[in-house]
Amino acid sequence: MVARVWSLMRFLIKGSVAGGAVYLVYDQELLGPSDKSQAALQKAGEVVPPAMYQFSQYVCQQTGLQIPQFFLPISFSQLPAPPKIYFPIRDSWNAGIMTVMSALSVAPSKAREYSKEGWEYVKARTK
Amino acid sequence: MSESELGRKWDRCLADAVVKIGTGFGLGIVFSLTFFKRRMWPLAFGSGMGLGMAYSNCQHDFQAPYLLHGKYVKEQEQ
Repeated sequence: MVARVWSLMRFLIKGSVAGGAVYLVYDQELLGPSDKSQAALQKAGEVVPPAMYQFSQYVCQQTGLQIPQFFLPISFSQLPAPPKIYFPIRDSWNAGIMTVMSALSVAPSKAREYSKEGWEYVKARTK
Repeated sequence: MSESELGRKWDRCLADAVVKIGTGFGLGIVFSLTFFKRRMWPLAFGSGMGLGMAYSNCQHDFQAPYLLHGKYVKEQEQ
């Protein structure tokens, strides 16, 4: 009897955890249109770093771990804001493509110039 | 389609893919721990579903260039 009640309780707890996760995904529209997903990602990028910073501060306060003051040039209240997570993939990809293409376009002339300099250097050394 | 619009679409696709794959993976972890005795297949299934949904959204976005992405603004009664 007790075992049956306990297994039922366990099933209900697991079901509520899984159901809560599914409801959270539905409520935040994470599996919906791409606009909502992009907004959710942006919101997470704004919320997560300060939350992690506050959690680390709470852990330091609870455990008593402190960075020695002489290692810190400034106090905790003057620490800069946590970095914002933003990586412009489009800009860096475009910049990378342009860098590679410009390097390829000047490669023959640069190779000729360096080989000429090398040849002059060898000639000067062998004289 | 202008290049800036194309770039915005790619950004939206990548963000959507990250969110959907992560969500599928997270749901897979939850179901694996609760109902499926810590097996690996719910994680793979959830990630794959997320990837498929993201791919479908991206495909729809790129193949329908004349749809505008707007948002509703409620009319304020005077």
